[in-house]
Amino acid sequence: MSPNELFDLLILALLIVCALAIARTKDLAAAVILFSVYSFALCLLWVHRGAPDVAMTEAAVGAGVTAVLFFYTLTRTGRREK
Amino acid sequence: MRSGLALLVVVLLAGLMMAGVSQLPPPGAPDSAVHGHVAATYIDGGAEAGGAPNLVTAVLLNYRAFDTYGEVVVIFAALIAVLAVGLAGRPIRSPRQAPTVPVSPVVDQVVRLLAPFIALFALFMILEGHVLPGGGFQGGVVLGTLIILLGLVLSPRRLRHLLPHKAVFWIRSAAVLTFACTALTGLALTGWLFALPEPHWLGESVIVGLELAIGIGSAFAVAGFFLSLEADRHR
Repeated sequence: MSPNELFDLLILALLIVCALAIARTKDLAAAVILFSVYSFALCLLWVHRGAPDVAMTEAAVGAGVTAVLFFYTLTRTGRREK
Repeated sequence: MRSGLALLVVVLLAGLMMAGVSQLPPPGAPDSAVHGHVAATYIDGGAEAGGAPNLVTAVLLNYRAFDTYGEVVVIFAALIAVLAVGLAGRPIRSPRQAPTVPVSPVVDQVVRLLAPFIALFALFMILEGHVLPGGGFQGGVVLGTLIILLGLVLSPRRLRHLLPHKAVFWIRSAAVLTFACTALTGLALTGWLFALPEPHWLGESVIVGLELAIGIGSAFAVAGFFLSLEADRHR
């Protein structure tokens, strides 16, 4: 296996772990942070696959602004899932 | 029982998707179908005809301008929906209003220190989006996030002073309006909607203007979601 493929596989494994953790956690703040981690890993994958434009969108929207908006919403509701 | 059924559905769907993905050509293979037809033309003359050396921008703002216009309108519509919901009814009173915690001085200082650099980077992304990776939307989202950060740190009164209500009203629709104007000028000058006017420098400046409008429009769309929630709280 080439180092390139290994990198992709590592990122994909991280994505799956993040997705499962988001679904399982009851702490919504942790879920938002995991969403950010997920987007950032995906952003690395886009860069690695030669799509810097998509990667920048992913970093700005996925890891950046949605996390901020989610957090702001959490301050208005509650941190625990019921 | 139900979770077993759900698992079965998920496994079936995942299997179907995997089967589909396994039939795709390897990424970057020169003889795959997507690289045979239009892509070859775009790579050959896209930078010249599309008005932007960054081919992604050329496709987004020229070849697929209708799609991008649709996206801009969708974002604008979402903002209008949020504003409509925010304006309807009485201000939200949560049952147990959390006491407002003052922003920590570390966060406050870091945001104030970084704000000009974030703004500069966002502008760079917007203005150089037709040459380098990035573009109006990405830079605009960064700019919008900066406005949200400033909204958290600065007092509501100060923020309202920075972003006067009347200006925000027009800036919010900047992207949609400018895009429509570009479409119409293209129609008037060349006979095609969204077509870039000759000579080349004019076409390129139209692209830069579009990027700027999309950037400012999406910045205020992103910030608008936050600002309307904030306004609701201080009503």
